[in-house]
Amino acid sequence: MATSGALRIGNSSGFYGDRYSAVREMLDGGPLHVLTGDYLAELTMLILGRQRMKDPQRGYATTFLRQMRDCLALAKDHGVRIVSNAGGLNPAGLATALRELSAELGIDVHVARVEGDDLMLGGWGIAECLRAGADVVVTGRVTDASLVVGPAAAHFGWARDDWDALAGATVAGHVLECGAQATGGNYSFFTEIDARHPGFPVAEIDRDGSSVITKHAGSAGAVTVETVTAQLLYEIGEPRYAGPDVTTRFDTICLEQAGPDRVAVTQVRGEPPPETLKVSLNTLGGYRNQVTFVLCGLDIDAKAALVREQIEAALSARPPREIHWTLARTDHPDAAVEEEASAVLRCIVKDADPATIGRAFSGAAVEIALASYPGFHLTAPPDEASPVGVYSPTARASTLLRRQAPTS
Amino acid sequence: MTRDAVSEALPAPLEPGATRRLPLGTVAGARSGDKGGTANIGVWARTHDAWSWLAHSLTVAELQRLLPETAGLTVTRHVLDNLHALNFVVDGLLGEGVASSTRFDPQAKAAGEWLRSRHVDIPETLLS
Repeated sequence: MATSGALRIGNSSGFYGDRYSAVREMLDGGPLHVLTGDYLAELTMLILGRQRMKDPQRGYATTFLRQMRDCLALAKDHGVRIVSNAGGLNPAGLATALRELSAELGIDVHVARVEGDDLMLGGWGIAECLRAGADVVVTGRVTDASLVVGPAAAHFGWARDDWDALAGATVAGHVLECGAQATGGNYSFFTEIDARHPGFPVAEIDRDGSSVITKHAGSAGAVTVETVTAQLLYEIGEPRYAGPDVTTRFDTICLEQAGPDRVAVTQVRGEPPPETLKVSLNTLGGYRNQVTFVLCGLDIDAKAALVREQIEAALSARPPREIHWTLARTDHPDAAVEEEASAVLRCIVKDADPATIGRAFSGAAVEIALASYPGFHLTAPPDEASPVGVYSPTARASTLLRRQAPTS
Repeated sequence: MTRDAVSEALPAPLEPGATRRLPLGTVAGARSGDKGGTANIGVWARTHDAWSWLAHSLTVAELQRLLPETAGLTVTRHVLDNLHALNFVVDGLLGEGVASSTRFDPQAKAAGEWLRSRHVDIPETLLS
């Protein structure tokens, strides 16, 4: 059970675009040793990749830089160390920007970065930076739990084969990584709690890797066995949860309510990581576009068939690589509300060439506006084609993912 | 195609008895999400008795009956007895991944809430 001597690690971001004020809320709301922030998801990596293609100076989460402009002095005053993966595809660029910021603000902080060749890494690079005295550590893509495992390993001096401790911290990290999803956000039984503005989560980690999940006193939301269970089930596969530092046995986790908004996480067992790990590659897979037709009232199936035939005929000279149609029967018979009398027909097109499905596609949808089914209208005007990411898992040696270069 | 996880530590089943047809979410919570083209749907029971029922009733076949869009896909069920939970991994539900998927819910964020809204025969002993 976490007591004095525990390392208090908070989270202030579950994705790029999460609550901007969370950094300040977490620094102001109660005591912390470390504040983490997760900014990277599959889609985010693709967005950052496109930014970096346009400008080699970019490729990191600029929101984090603005949050540090607002809160770096506060963190320094409270002695809270910051660990964030906001470096994205360019941790060096973010570290440089943070050093310029701290000089401009006259705040004496030691900024370190972990480079990672755009691969998903473990927590040891973060641990080395913190042991070397860093106040702020920025990384590229590390495994989600690494933001918690790294600081805990550094603080308690864990060895690389302290499997159970590393596994315990991995569980705490998995609970924290999605912010308010651990504290009553997106919770099936949200009607039973005050879910209006959940506080972000805190893990009090003990020397043996066990922890108490909690949140700052006075914040809304809830921390119960069920809110923590919900987050443990998020984006997992088999009960052996493999990472570059440790394989965590999710089937050994013991949860117990240890007080109001306090859940103890104990008995987690870890095993050596596998020889190879799955790594996700995000590549540009062409372009997509879509248009949504609203079909109201009678003869819904016939209306859908007509517009489908018209669009496919208009595209037949240069048909897109893929064309998908979905008809959602959201219409109700004899409805007193127009929206409730309407069904929704979506047409999604994909192609390697944005021109094929750009104006040519949207033009085809617009040109039939006075010559199609009765009541023709669209939910939004057709747009330009947008790039499509393709995710392809591949295997890499775990040792490669553990080898990383902390840089001061 | 369906698969059940290799080792399953299941609780003893409930005694058979009267049931009522109600949403699964009456007695279970859920959270779902994506990893590339794969979706996962985690379901937990709210009480020990509900777990004894859920672990035996919510099979892969039953999930595929309740969520027909998963019927043609490989679904693997993992049992987490310690969490009173089941984790269903649905391969290929999301096509090539979140950015390119054509699904209405391309990251399967609401698949769990969809599942909770489906009506099933729930033992009356769980409904007190």
